[in-house]
Amino acid sequence: MADMDWDALDDETFRRAVADFFRTEYPEEIRFPAHFLRWAQCQDWYRKLYAKGLAAPAWPREWGGMGLSPGKLLAFIEEQEKHGVARTPDIGITLLGPLLIRFGTEQQKREFLPPTLRGEYIWCQGYSEPNAGSDLASLRTEAVLDGDEYVITGSKIWTSFAMDATHMFVLVRTDKQAKKQEGISFMLVDMKSPGITVRPIRNLNGSEHFAEVFLDQVRTPARWLVGQPNQGWTMAKALLGFERISIGSPKLSQTGLQRLERIVQARGLSADAAFMDRFTQLKLNVADLTSVYGRFAEIVKRGGTLGPDVSLLKIFASETFQRITELTLEAGGDAGAIEGEVAFGDAAIDILSPFYNARPATIYGGSNEIQRNIIAKSVLNLPG
Amino acid sequence: MAAASLAELAEGAEDTHRMLRDAAVNFAARETSIARVRALRGTGPGYDRAVWRSLADLGWTGILIPELHGGLGLGLGEMATVLEEFAKTLSPEPLNAVAVLAAGVLVQGDNDALRAELLPGLALGRVLPALAGQDPHGGIEPLEIATRVEAGMLRGEKRFVVPAEADGYLVTAQDADGPAVYWVEQGAAGLQRSFELRADGSRSGRLVLDGVKVSDAQRVASPAVAGAALQRAIDIATVMAGAELLGVMRRALDLTLEYMRTRVQFGKPIGSYQALQHRAVDLFIDKELAVSVLADALLHLDGDDGQLALWASRVKSRCSDAGLRIGRESIQIHGGIGYADECDIGLYLKRAMVLSAWLGNGAMHRRRYAALTAARAPA
Repeated sequence: MADMDWDALDDETFRRAVADFFRTEYPEEIRFPAHFLRWAQCQDWYRKLYAKGLAAPAWPREWGGMGLSPGKLLAFIEEQEKHGVARTPDIGITLLGPLLIRFGTEQQKREFLPPTLRGEYIWCQGYSEPNAGSDLASLRTEAVLDGDEYVITGSKIWTSFAMDATHMFVLVRTDKQAKKQEGISFMLVDMKSPGITVRPIRNLNGSEHFAEVFLDQVRTPARWLVGQPNQGWTMAKALLGFERISIGSPKLSQTGLQRLERIVQARGLSADAAFMDRFTQLKLNVADLTSVYGRFAEIVKRGGTLGPDVSLLKIFASETFQRITELTLEAGGDAGAIEGEVAFGDAAIDILSPFYNARPATIYGGSNEIQRNIIAKSVLNLPG
Repeated sequence: MAAASLAELAEGAEDTHRMLRDAAVNFAARETSIARVRALRGTGPGYDRAVWRSLADLGWTGILIPELHGGLGLGLGEMATVLEEFAKTLSPEPLNAVAVLAAGVLVQGDNDALRAELLPGLALGRVLPALAGQDPHGGIEPLEIATRVEAGMLRGEKRFVVPAEADGYLVTAQDADGPAVYWVEQGAAGLQRSFELRADGSRSGRLVLDGVKVSDAQRVASPAVAGAALQRAIDIATVMAGAELLGVMRRALDLTLEYMRTRVQFGKPIGSYQALQHRAVDLFIDKELAVSVLADALLHLDGDDGQLALWASRVKSRCSDAGLRIGRESIQIHGGIGYADECDIGLYLKRAMVLSAWLGNGAMHRRRYAALTAARAPA
């Protein structure tokens, strides 16, 4: 099964096969989880994916991936979302793998890809810093070459799953003289290296999947620098392609709307005309979000390149999701401030978690204000 | 389905669309102008018969009319392409109201003789019929009508008739067996006509039918088909009004963005200020949503998925609200000059207001969408 040629299946058969697998094999207790899953909660599931050859849908087959076409990859992600299959701490698979395959040396690929695929190396991403959020290119964590090692000092923040990670890929400044974006390199670090401290950050939803990572003269081999020195920024940006469409997926909004619909029924809100106008507005927003997502998905399926206008998808998807979670609080009435699952009719619904989870959606991946700046300049040609 | 044939199909459709779009762009340059639009405001009939005949020469009045009756027998996608481009010019000729709405009622009706008599003339641009479907209270339910036919006489009142000055009217009325549609020529005894001025300077008609004699030969649609015929024609015209709104909002947004690039205040183009940039981006997003829902609707409707009413309400609620918002915000971004009648941007707002109110505004279609989706009990 592991060396099955998934890409040879026709689209419908492929989608069905993947859907069946997610429906029957995924553990029920972690379906549609209210919180991000830690590695301990989902490593069995990851091993199952790996055994079945489904762990790395976007990787080429020579590295153990499924070698999916863009259309099938999108179908894979859509079915994953549809069946409430949570993403494991998989940034090594989704981001680092494709980057190494494209820009890494043969030695780097051999050293890192197989253990990453086997789930032995868990990666975290060190991009943001306390003083480099939206203005990421102003990052100051520094790496200085000392013999055949780089010595890294600085701190990274909003690092997801740093506590679970065995390795981190970081953007670091290697040339302080160069212009902002041009002095940045991309390198790999072992989380067990001396000088690394991880401080978990508790979020509004009470979970601790973010962390701050302090690097105090951390030594990493010079051969772990990926690509050319000072080209890290360009490389990191080149690989945001698929993230830009999946970040605009209507799925969160669709499931949020179903949750809201159950509360509307349980509380008899359909008789409230003022409420229903806003509810219907959101319903239409989700329908139209699905249409606009379909437009961009079509470009990806045909192997086309997404333009800067795809930013509108992220803006509308995240803001629609937020509005749904806000109206859900309102629909809950007095229960709209109760933590955990609350009974509505015969359904038990966690109202607050989606509300909290929707907050960072307009902040990460380039805040919605940054996305608006991008559209203003690159699509509407407004002056800088 | 073979991928290659689908691609060819799409390519063929793209060619037709490109040709139609090019023709519309040429028309805009040759036959109309904002000066003409301004000159016709507040006049009767408010459109130009010569321009109407040019539209007919281009085939646009017959796009949705079957070839059998002298039309081109093309699809909704082609009609939408033309209407979107045509709407950018703000031309007051009632292309949607006549070639989609009135033509649709005739085509969907069950009077072969009347179809054969009226449709070729409509396609050739010689006959302009208007649907007189709404009673004075308005609304989007075509069968909520008090107008009646009794002993061969039509009695009642109609309002919001577009074009107000037509060659004849397709009048909805309660027959002995249910709702029906009758063809009443302009000038018929017992027909009185008056006008209300719409925001964009065009006319909306009021008809009083005080014992207008009608025969079975004038019955365009019998009670057996009238309800479905009206609903289908109105829903399609509603989708097409979305295409018109899209044309209006595209042009309004283009004008506003150009103004933002060139208008200088505090030593810089106002388009360099982030507060205004973000407002403009939100308008752009609204426009893109309108593009997406309309494209999706046309794709599904060409395959006739049996959900015309749902698509019509989705399109109209999005396009009405987006058109109005882009119109209003464009005035704000233009600042003082935007409030002056001499500045063209106001013309786009006013057309958006008219198209938004016509065939049900955003709120009405949201209510209908809610009712339609509740009726089919979502999972």
